[in-house]
Amino acid sequence: MDFLELFMPAVWFVILALFLLLYVILDGFDLGVGILSLTSPSETQRSILMTSLGNVWDANETWLVLMGGALFGAFPLAYGTILKALYGPIYLMILGLILRAVAFEFRENAERKRPWNLMFGLGSVLAAAAQGICLGTVLAGLPTDAQGHFTGSPWIWLNWSSLLVALTLIQGYVLIGSTYLILKTSGELQDLHRRTARLAAATTLAGALLITLATPFVSSTLKERLFDPQFLPVFVALPLVGIALIVQLFRSLALEQEVWPFVYTVLLFVLSFAGLGLMVFPAIIPPSVTIFDAHASITSLVFMLTFIGVLIPIMLFYNIYNDIAFSGKMPHPAEAE
Amino acid sequence: MEWLADTLVLSRLQFALTAIFHMLWPVLSTGLAIFLVVLEGFWLRTGNPLYYRQARFWAKLYVLNFGIGVASGLPMEFQFGTNWAPLSEFVGDFFGSVLGFEGAMAFMLEAGFLGIMLFGWNRVPAAIHFLATVMVAFGANLSVFWILSANSWLQTPAGGTFSEGHFHVQNYFAAINNPFMLRSVLHMSLATVETSMLVVAAVSCWWLLRRGAAEAVRSFFAFSFQLALVILLVVAPLQVVAGHESALQVAEHQPTKLAAIEGLWSSEPAGSSPAWSLLVAPDEASGRNRWNLAVPGALSWILEGRSSLSHEVRGLNSWPADQRPRMVGLLFYSFRLMAGIGIAITLLLALTLLLWWRRGLSADTLSSFPWLGRAWILAAPAGYLAIEAGWLVRCVGRQPWTVYGQLRTAEAASQLPAGEVLASLSTFAVLYAVLLGCALWFGARIIRRGPDLSLMPPVQGVPQEAGIEPSAP
Repeated sequence: MDFLELFMPAVWFVILALFLLLYVILDGFDLGVGILSLTSPSETQRSILMTSLGNVWDANETWLVLMGGALFGAFPLAYGTILKALYGPIYLMILGLILRAVAFEFRENAERKRPWNLMFGLGSVLAAAAQGICLGTVLAGLPTDAQGHFTGSPWIWLNWSSLLVALTLIQGYVLIGSTYLILKTSGELQDLHRRTARLAAATTLAGALLITLATPFVSSTLKERLFDPQFLPVFVALPLVGIALIVQLFRSLALEQEVWPFVYTVLLFVLSFAGLGLMVFPAIIPPSVTIFDAHASITSLVFMLTFIGVLIPIMLFYNIYNDIAFSGKMPHPAEAE
Repeated sequence: MEWLADTLVLSRLQFALTAIFHMLWPVLSTGLAIFLVVLEGFWLRTGNPLYYRQARFWAKLYVLNFGIGVASGLPMEFQFGTNWAPLSEFVGDFFGSVLGFEGAMAFMLEAGFLGIMLFGWNRVPAAIHFLATVMVAFGANLSVFWILSANSWLQTPAGGTFSEGHFHVQNYFAAINNPFMLRSVLHMSLATVETSMLVVAAVSCWWLLRRGAAEAVRSFFAFSFQLALVILLVVAPLQVVAGHESALQVAEHQPTKLAAIEGLWSSEPAGSSPAWSLLVAPDEASGRNRWNLAVPGALSWILEGRSSLSHEVRGLNSWPADQRPRMVGLLFYSFRLMAGIGIAITLLLALTLLLWWRRGLSADTLSSFPWLGRAWILAAPAGYLAIEAGWLVRCVGRQPWTVYGQLRTAEAASQLPAGEVLASLSTFAVLYAVLLGCALWFGARIIRRGPDLSLMPPVQGVPQEAGIEPSAP
């Protein structure tokens, strides 16, 4: 294999991981805020929660669309095999995202907000849970034939380990949603979400520990990788850094800092992602189909890279500009008029 | 009820249902976005608050529509993997990259600037706000480009070779710029602008015909009606030409589709002057029309602009049954519906402009010709109908192929348990019916409430704190 044939699939693996990470962080806090909106004590507070997402949810969701398109183009085999295997949870996720999006628009115009509030919250829960199930199922591995086509049961995603990942991801989204709200709100609402952040941090931690303990039993491939002496230093270091970050997170919450809880949570997401990426690389359909088996032609990968690669910094730039334009606390509805 | 257990039929039905529903929303997201750019441009140039209020009012309809468009777009993308996995593998190298480009260039641009366009009036300088509106419109129209390029490639695949169950791209630009691309993009872009302007005209006429509307509101909508008419004056006649050009490229590249939309069963040799059918009753089992109503000698005029054919036009019977589209009646009448609506709207426009020229088009003139206003109100749903009919012709007429001449639809479908597809299909059917009802209900409410004429434009140079207004509890 020449250099490009090793290099290009790896580059696209990294780009896809980046898109997915951006999605999980950005739409993660949208979905987290959506889930938290179910617990809002008053309509005014729920309004503030939802308005804090008004200008960002759509752009954040677009990272998922982008990830889908890039996976389709760069690893067509993986796109077909993974999505077909995950038929059920993919449609549940789409259903959740549709409910969330339309509830957002309809609620704006409705006199009776309650049904739309419920739809917004439950849509967010459904999307988050379905994403967790997809993640859990793919990590545990999809059985394939020699061509890389899925050979398992249509219910492969319905098992306790996927459910565990789903519950943990929901907790993670609630955590990042809470820390986002600490950033965007003040007073009573901020205090409330310091409490939800603490709770969610504890449950996410518990989930992460359980997943780590369960991993060797769920997949022999992942077990081999975990105990591979080459990778051992990394897999020892990652949890240590994670624990340090969680300690910092709790400290910043106790000190009532506004920005740091969000930053530490984002770093925790990045860290978990790096860990997951290292566990599966170079598989694109774990356990057995690698990026080198499933990639599109090298010319396609190069062509896509020249187009999309150039656009990545530009996309990041205007998304960040958007965030800066809307930085600062959400105004209280009574003051906004 | 055999089809209930047939995964292929169910997957096709699901694609058709989700595509037909999805297509309703990008129309305004792309066409009305251009209208918003024009309005905001006027406002920046003149400082007249009327334009600002126009922009704010029409943006309300825009947002309502936008969310559903984004949401209903998700199943379109993911379906290629879930229900059409063999297709994904077959064409992923090109088709997947194009969807990736669309995400990175078009969607992200639109989504990244939408927040500023909707909520940023008091947060960013006027010039940046205008830039955001332009970027939203540009992004939406770029996505028309990419989607139509991808779909055109399915119609007229180019730029590479097919072997071992894969499409291998050799020349990306040839694949993107495939034979159908340019005219299809033009036809669709014009359709979104035209239909969006029909929506603006319909809403405006509804207000102008409404008894007891305040004078200020009437002049507000008289303006938007006039602006829509001016834009339609450019777009509607062009669309008739672009539509005709699109039909000609079908004649050139997809003879099976042409035969179906013209209801032709037997081939017409070069040199003949065959009739053009206006109405037919196709009988697919015996391969003929039970009866037809036709204009003698007209087909060669329509296809070639001359009195006799210079090339043979093949009839459906000249292909084996498994190499030509079915549902000939659907294709035949969808095509006539689309073309008929396009021509009718152009005539309505001509009539209205004539009246405008003779009498002056004020709110009063329109009240003395209430039927004219009603015709414009009906024209908006007709615009949507024409778009859906056009897509039916385009995609049903491509059958039995998914990639014309290369990959059969039956081979492109994932092998899935039928129950699974039935479950997702019926969920979409119920969900989309409810969503359509809700969208129409809330849209009607926005229209009934009308514009906020007390809204004052942001004062430039004075930083304001209250940027986003949370909705009142």
